[in-house]
Amino acid sequence: MRKLAILMITILALTILAGCPSNSAPGKDRYVVLSPEVAEILASLGLESRIVGLTTECTYPTSLRMIHKVGAFGAVKLEDVLALKPSIVFTTALEQDGIAQDLSRLGIRVESVYPKSVNDIFLEIERIGRITGSDDKAAELTASMKQSIHEIQIRNSSKIKPDVYLEIYRDPLMSVSDKSFVGELIEIAGGNNVFDTLERDYSRVNPETVIAAKPDIMICFSQDNLPNILSRKGWQVIPALQDSMIFFEDSIDPDLIQRAGPRIIEGIMALEKIYEHWRTSTP
Amino acid sequence: MKTMQKALPLFGILISLGICVLYLIWDKPDMNILWQVRFPRLLLTVITGMSLAGIGSVYQLMLANPLAEPYILGISSGAAFGSILLASLGLLVLMPLGGFIGAILTMLLVWRLAQKHGIFDRSRLIIAGVIVGMFFSSGISLLMYLNREDTVLILSTLMGNLGRIFSHSEWVLFQGLSILALAILAWLFLKSRALDIMSSSDHYASSVGIDVHRTRIQIFVLSSILIGIVVSYAGIIGFVGLITPHIIRLLIPGTQKKVFLSSLVFGASFLVLADFVAKSITVIELPVGVVTSAIGCPFFIWLLLKK
Repeated sequence: MRKLAILMITILALTILAGCPSNSAPGKDRYVVLSPEVAEILASLGLESRIVGLTTECTYPTSLRMIHKVGAFGAVKLEDVLALKPSIVFTTALEQDGIAQDLSRLGIRVESVYPKSVNDIFLEIERIGRITGSDDKAAELTASMKQSIHEIQIRNSSKIKPDVYLEIYRDPLMSVSDKSFVGELIEIAGGNNVFDTLERDYSRVNPETVIAAKPDIMICFSQDNLPNILSRKGWQVIPALQDSMIFFEDSIDPDLIQRAGPRIIEGIMALEKIYEHWRTSTP
Repeated sequence: MKTMQKALPLFGILISLGICVLYLIWDKPDMNILWQVRFPRLLLTVITGMSLAGIGSVYQLMLANPLAEPYILGISSGAAFGSILLASLGLLVLMPLGGFIGAILTMLLVWRLAQKHGIFDRSRLIIAGVIVGMFFSSGISLLMYLNREDTVLILSTLMGNLGRIFSHSEWVLFQGLSILALAILAWLFLKSRALDIMSSSDHYASSVGIDVHRTRIQIFVLSSILIGIVVSYAGIIGFVGLITPHIIRLLIPGTQKKVFLSSLVFGASFLVLADFVAKSITVIELPVGVVTSAIGCPFFIWLLLKK
């Protein structure tokens, strides 16, 4: 009987040990990343192997999907983060301020990354480079991004600017201002954001002001569909609807312009394509 | 003084009309915006304000509870849950349908719980309504927690959203529902005398030939349908249904007929004014539910102290 009990306890102990994450030993460079944009930045600096935990929203590059998940963007499991014994936890602001404070109180090093403008994105990439000891790679990455933006701005400087309305939410309608990096990207690509002067980066807008602004192009990330948009009362006077210049997620991946990471260059180029389509299709 | 009391309703109607005209022509919109966007919003606001205030006055009398309001019986939470659930499934356009189904199912559930051995019990109705309302509120909180990307939509439903974008087909449907809402309000108005009598006692009401049980069922079912319509399109807007009837009773004391009609006019114009402020006071549009309380509470306190 006693032998059986010892055997069972041993099996139980081994099972518990086997269930523990294999990489739970403390190490120097073990990053838990709660923000998808930081995950993209770290990956582009070649630091993917240092990431030991992520939130479910960190989906790019696809190789990150294999890494252990510690919850969702706004619902992080604190114990899971601690179990991974991270050397640094990368968070973003607003919704993640609370978890960042909790982790700091527990003595974990937290680095919050929240770029609000395109320039901030460069500064944050360089800061992440310094934090991770990848200064040179970060400098190289930002220099290449700046160069791309410069070239894009030069080739679009003499072109006609379409008025662009980006809808990020329906009921209530929400759009972006130029204070946000998303609004900046619209402008850098050669367009004119119709809500450039909203009070907040991302803000509720009145349908009347959308109609009055008469945008040439509408980019819809609000999960609405074409028949619904075309049948919105009073919207038929909008050039974007009259000329079928409404673009959805299949024309431009929202992550390319809504994640403040290295892929914004791809986002700007996708916007450029849309603008070019407008220039060649409308009289 | 008596002449003043008599002139008050007329004065109120004139002010209400003035508010509606101001709401429509403010900022000089072009004809397209005026008729296609602003007028539908005004109609939604007026129907919502009238319904909330009207039902509030009926519930306060029927449930003999000064704290009764259109949302006390949990119907609004059920409607909000239904519309938010469909929105989180990506079916944004079907939100009103979800709200309506939510309201009807909640109504059936609350009514079933309010019966004791087949007999209606007023206290059970309120308790059942509060409990069912809490259940659906927790459901809404769960949906908000699980669908962070829908937080704005959920908050706008919970804090009131009169800025709904109508498609042409939705507008036709809403016009039909508005006629239904007005018909229900007219029916509730016709029941005013019966409600006055029922407020004395059920026995007395029965002795003068009122079928108390049947009248209560009818009021409960029809008012639930009305709440379903309102919440489906405008979300949950606090204060109007609770305080409007009290303000009216302070200003124009009288029978339920008088209180009900005045509540309709005051509720509608008050909500139009609140929405006007919510749209115009800051660059960012404020949730109308916040404005109704911000304007209404100080006014009510002032009135309470004065009267």
